[in-house]
Formats: sequence, structure tokens, C-alpha cells
Amino acid sequence: MVRIPFETYRLDNGLRVVLSRDPSVPVVAINLWYGVGSRNERPGRTGFAHLFEHMMFQGSAHVPETAHFALIEQAGGSLNGSTWLDRTNYFETLPAHYLELGLWLESDRMGWLLPAMTQEKLDNQRDVVKNERRWRVDNQPYGDWDERLQAMVYPPDHPYHHSVIGSMEDLDAASLEDVEEFFRTYYAPNNAVLTLCGEFDPAQARDLIERYFGEIPRGPEVPPLPGRTEIPPLIGGEVRERVEQDISLPRLYLAYRIPPYGDDEFYTAAVASHVLAWGKASLLYRSLVRDRRLAQDVVAYAFPIVVGSAMLVLWATARPGVEPERLEAALLDEIEALARVEDREVERAIHLLETRRLIDLQRVDERADQLSMFTMLFDDPDRINTELDRLKAVTTADVRSFAERFLGADNRASLLYVPRTGGAA
Amino acid sequence: MSTVQRDRPPAPGQIRPLVFPAIERRRLDNDLAVLAARHGDLPLVTAMLVVDAGAAGDPARKAGLARLTTDALETGTRTRSADQIAWELEHLGIELQATATWDAAILSITAPRERLEAALELFADIVRHPAFPEAEVDRLRDEQLATILQNRKEPRALANDMAAHFIFAEGVPYGRPLIGTTASVQALTRDDVEAFYRTHYLPNASSLLFVGHIDADTARDLADRHFGDWPAGQPTTPEFEVVPGVETRTVFIVDRPGSVQSEIRIGDIGVARHHEDYFPLLVMNTILGGAFTSRLNMSLRERHGFTYGARSGFAFRKRPGPFIVQAAVATDVTARAVEEALKEMTALREEGASEQEVAAARDYLRGILPLQLQTTEQLASRLADIVIFDLPDDYFQQYRQRIADVSPDDVHRVAREHLRLDRLAIVVVGDAERIAPGLESLDVGTVVIHQDY
Repeated sequence: MVRIPFETYRLDNGLRVVLSRDPSVPVVAINLWYGVGSRNERPGRTGFAHLFEHMMFQGSAHVPETAHFALIEQAGGSLNGSTWLDRTNYFETLPAHYLELGLWLESDRMGWLLPAMTQEKLDNQRDVVKNERRWRVDNQPYGDWDERLQAMVYPPDHPYHHSVIGSMEDLDAASLEDVEEFFRTYYAPNNAVLTLCGEFDPAQARDLIERYFGEIPRGPEVPPLPGRTEIPPLIGGEVRERVEQDISLPRLYLAYRIPPYGDDEFYTAAVASHVLAWGKASLLYRSLVRDRRLAQDVVAYAFPIVVGSAMLVLWATARPGVEPERLEAALLDEIEALARVEDREVERAIHLLETRRLIDLQRVDERADQLSMFTMLFDDPDRINTELDRLKAVTTADVRSFAERFLGADNRASLLYVPRTGGAA
Repeated sequence: MSTVQRDRPPAPGQIRPLVFPAIERRRLDNDLAVLAARHGDLPLVTAMLVVDAGAAGDPARKAGLARLTTDALETGTRTRSADQIAWELEHLGIELQATATWDAAILSITAPRERLEAALELFADIVRHPAFPEAEVDRLRDEQLATILQNRKEPRALANDMAAHFIFAEGVPYGRPLIGTTASVQALTRDDVEAFYRTHYLPNASSLLFVGHIDADTARDLADRHFGDWPAGQPTTPEFEVVPGVETRTVFIVDRPGSVQSEIRIGDIGVARHHEDYFPLLVMNTILGGAFTSRLNMSLRERHGFTYGARSGFAFRKRPGPFIVQAAVATDVTARAVEEALKEMTALREEGASEQEVAAARDYLRGILPLQLQTTEQLASRLADIVIFDLPDDYFQQYRQRIADVSPDDVHRVAREHLRLDRLAIVVVGDAERIAPGLESLDVGTVVIHQDY
């Protein structure tokens, strides 16, 4: 089996570093995870972690306003960042001889962001993010599904109750003082992981990392997550919601609380989601799409999140003319059938996961992101090599037992979208 | 420890040599072309079959047939049912990807090396002996119809479809959705699918590509074992002219009441992949809207905050595909966004770009090439372009040089020739009541409002 090599160490200021050399490619991926996501947002500031991510591309003390993007693109590199519930990541892939450029840019915004922040930049990026919300959520059929499901699966005081994109009102309320406070609280070397993957000289990379990041002071201890992180493993009943939207076809979403990412049972949930809906031999495709022709598509996905409980989401879009009630009854039947799943169905799911993992690990940027993730979440970068073993260890009995304990009516959020009736909006 | 100079960007280090995968060709007796490229260090192989069976070859009034045919291939062979095919492939850990572009049908699998032969046996059975069971074809046709229905309520898909509709004249295949229209798809039958398959799926109209942990002779032998006795036939080539849908600049509002954003598409006919200005156009487009730091994105997003992103691009096909500038903007700034986009197009056309800007675009295009060739699937897709557009096998080496040769004068010349500001179709999907007055007063062309679509 494939093994991704790496070495790991820590700077005096607490920055965790992972180096994974692969001399077969002429590029280097630089990846930073900061241990802050939407879960850290306080009430009234939903969406702020993501808005802050945008501000990280607006220049820093030594980097002019548009230089971050321009310098990397001129070097022939690609870059981006993303914000999720548990983390914010920043990454660029560059021709190998531009390693130092990437380290300069990343260290400058980790250490010297605030002098470059202005009200004008904040107002501009607030508008950009509000347009991102309109684009992803408000002007998109079914676009608010994750926002609604999170609110149904997690109680109001849990850090996952609200969405990453946040509300328009809270985005409007964000101020420069918030930017400063957020930076001082969360953007410190001791709350970050830096990973390099690809072609570099390890000794030179260590030296450059020490020189660029070593003088950034350690920040204060990161405060505990706001709200209540311990919740019961099950929702404790069925939560239902029905939404009328300007759509052509009804779609039903189901969500369940499941054990958090990292827990052995999370891997069972990941395998179960593949048994249910990955591929044309999956249980739901065979039954709902091919045989009974009730659904246009079926999807299942286990969110890899770590605070208290993760979430398993399934959805099916009704074929024209199919009553949502019929679709729901059929979907629930099949989920129940998971408790009688056979060996070959579990094998199929694991084989698909195995190939997908190999395919994904071909990319240096993907490897770098996973090394950062495993270091940040579990302090164990070697999980990049052992993750597959965890999936392969899942048995048919595990999946059956998981289905019985977690996929019942006492742990179900059911969100139904139906076409709006009674004239135009 | 030495301190670092933070006031300016550090100089680049020693450039690493770039070695592009070598492409080797073989040919079977039935004229099936076999291409192989060794790539990567993981035990994976992508096998991709590229067939001259794209949607440009859909017969008149049968739009959507090429797409339905690729979907229907895996729903049964002479000896296997749809369910058996799915089980056998997926139990090997493999998913079949099947899609139709305008110029080709593309089928591929990515397999761990030790499972390649077993997967290829199934792959060949799917491609060579499809049974097209009527019940399955009907199901897929109904799913295609439902997707067409969904696309009418999805603003991005609707904007793309309407842009194509207005850019091209009535009857040009590129003017309709690749998946067809409700009327055309409703009429498709199992026999249509079989007839399309028989006339288009031929070894002498196909190429089989192997990328990854494999050498050319092994690839050839594998191909021969599974495709060697696939009988050749008489290929057909679609014939049509590409004609513009508008003579003068026109604004088409596609009314979507209640929209909180407007999906803007400013479009025209672009050029065919073979056009001699291909490389200058790539550089010109990078400056206009092909990168994050492009003029359109820096203006509409970073200066004005109108949008989450603005970009432009040419769809290069065997014949001239569309050139489109696009952005999703807040409803209340729709007219201002159209105005700024046109301003950027005009400026590039009138004044060209500076030496520095052109150099940055060239360096970007040259640098990102290796980043786009990391996986076996990525490289196979590029090889597919090589066979579809009949490009030379040393294309990647040439690419970097051809980009390097583009001068600021070239950029200005192609901007003048290809940004035809006087005959644009400006398509805006949004709330007509709120955006029409602003677009009217912009005075950039006649405004036509469409409520039925």
C-alpha cells in the first residue's frame, strides 16, 4: 500500500510544521490550517470566521493590497482559502522555486495583518461575501439546506447550530474592532499547522520556516468554544420542516446525529453512507432510482466534524409526479434495510473508498491539506497513512448495528422542499 | 539565524527542470488509436475512450441524443444487466465516468493497477455490446427531461442556456442545451439510441488512452485483447455552419421574479480550437477575466463588491464555441455591473495591455500547466484534447513556448479582432421589474424582456 512520508516538528512559538517531500513533481504545496471556524463565532457574529478569511487576502504590513493574489498568479501558482465549521485553511501551490515567496506571504499575514486593515477593505469584502451568500444560498434552489439542517440537528447553544456563511444581519454588524479581536484571539502560530508537500530541500525549508515564522510571537491560549459542546448522541425525536421554494421538483433531506469524526463509529458511518448512495450499485440508487423510479438522484454524506456529534445527511430528489410522501416512505424503508446489509455491499463500499483515496492522494495540495487536517484535529499526521485501515476495519456487523442505533426516528431531522404553489413569488 | 527582508518579495530560487510525460502511440488493426503516457508514482491507471460521438452530431430535432447514448451504455450488455454491470465494476472499486461533450463521447475508468484488466474487460463489454434495454433507456430519458425542468429554475444553468440560445442563430447546434430540450428529448426512443450508437461508436473513430502506471506496449496488448476484434465501420462527421444570433448589441432580460441576484452573461461567437490566434487569445483572456487578478474580477469584485467573482472565457470546440463574460451580481447593481464589464472590454480593445501585464499573464499560464497535470485523470483529459483536436504529441512542450511568444501587440490585435463590442448578446437572468429600468437607461442596446422560457 502507498505510504506518504513526512517529518514533523514544532517551532518555539508553537507552530506545528509538517514536511512531506515528493521530488517527483516540480511544484510545492504550502498549506496552513488555523484552528478556528464558524464553531468559534459568538452570537451576533455568525459568518465572521469566513469574512475574516477574505480579509487575509487584502494585504498585510509588507504586502500591498492586491499583491497576495498577483504575486502568486505571476509566479504561475494557484491559491485559495476556505472556512468550515472546525477550521480555516489557506493554501497555494507554486512552481518549486517560489517556495520562499509563499512562506513570505503566509508569514506576513500570520504576523503582521492588522496594520493593513482598513474600513474600506472590510466594506468591500463584506459586499463580496454577501454576494457569495446570495450566490450559494439565497438565489439557489435548495441553497439553504445545510443551514436549516444544522439548526435542526444541533441545539441553539451548540457551535454547529449556525452555518458557515452566516446571516446578512450579522455580516452587516461586523466591525474593524471585530477583525482585530478575532486576529489576536485565533491567528497565532500556536493555533496553526503549516505543511509543505512536494519538491523542496528539507534542510533549506526548515531554515526558511524558522526565519519567516520563528519571530512571530506566540498568542494567548485559544478560548474554549462558546456554548454547549456536550450534547446527547441522539436528537431524541423527529424534527420536521417543510419549505416552499421556487423549484421544479420536491427534494427530501434527512439528517442524523452521528459520532464525531475520529471516533471508530464515524468510519462506520462513512462506509454506511457509501453503501447507501455511492455508485449505481448502491442501495438507494438501485431501489429508488433504478427499480422503483421514485427519485431523480440520491446522495449521502457524513460530515467529518469533531465537536460533540457529527452529522450524516441524505437526500433524494423526487421524479416528476412522485408525491413527496411516497418518496419519504420508500427512503425510510431502505434506510431500515441497512440493518440487514450483506457483506458484499460493505465490501463494495470499502473498495470504492480505497480507490478514491488513491486517486485523491495523487495531488500534492490534497496531501498537504490532509496532513494539516490530521495534525490539527488529532495531533497525528500519520493518519494520512492509517485512515484507510480504519475504513477497512469496518464490518458488516458494525454497519448493521450503526443503522439500528443511529438511523431511527428518535434521531432524525426531515427537511422537505416543495415547489411553491399559488402563483409567482 | 539570519533575519529576513520582509519589505519586498523574496527572489525565486533555482528553477527545477520540467519534464512532461512522453506520449507513445500504437494502432490496432481495426484502426483504434492507442495512446499511453507513464505518469505519477501511485499504482493507478486511467483508461479513457474518446469516441467521435459528441452532441454536435445529434441529428436535427433529436438534441440530447449523444448524451442519452453515453448514459445508456452502462444499462445492459448482451450478457449483463445494468445491475450486474454496476455490481461488478463497483466491487472492483471502480466507477465508470461517461459523458458527452460537443465534440466527443468520453468514457473512463481509473483503476488500481492490479484490477485494471478485470475492469477493462467490463469496460469493453459496455462499449462494444450495449443492449439498450427499453425500460432503462426510458428511465434515463425521463431523468434527462427532469434535469431540463430543474435547469429552468436554476439561475446559473438557465443563464448559460439562454446565453447560448441568443449568441447562436436558430438551428446552430451550439445554440441549444447539450442535453436537449423538452420537445427533443421527449421524442427520443431506444431505437434512436441504438442507431446513434451504430453510426458513431467505431474503433476507427475512437482513441483509447492509458495514463499512469503502465507502458505503451502493455497498453497496446491490453487494448488488443479487449478491443482488437471490434469491427471498423464508416465514420460520420457532423456538418454545420456557426452563425451569430444577433446582428447588433442587444440586451435580453430573462425574467425571474424575486431573484436577489442577476446572472449576467455577455456573449459572442468565439473561435474554433484550431484558430491561429489560439495562444494570443489565451493570454488576452487571462488579462480580461481568466485569473483572479484579471481586470474583470479586480473591478467587479475587488473594487466594487458587486459580485463574488467575475470571469471570462472562450469555449474552444471544433467549430467556434461561445466567448462569455460572466458574473452573478446583486440585483440593485445589475446595470452598473454590466457597464463596468463593458468598460473593461472596451479598454482592452482600445488600449491593449502593458508589457508587464502581458508578461504576468504569460507567466501564469506557463506556471500553472504542471499544476493541472498532477493526476492520471487530469493528464488523460489533456490527451483527450490532443486526439479530439488533432494536436501534436509534443503539445505540452510547445505550449509553453507558444505562450512565451505572445507579445503585447498580439494581445492588442486579438482584442481588437475578437472583442466585437457591437454585436454582443447581453443576457441577464433576474428580476425584470427591478433591473429593466437601469439596463434601459444604460443605452447599450435594445432591451428585450423574456417571460416565457
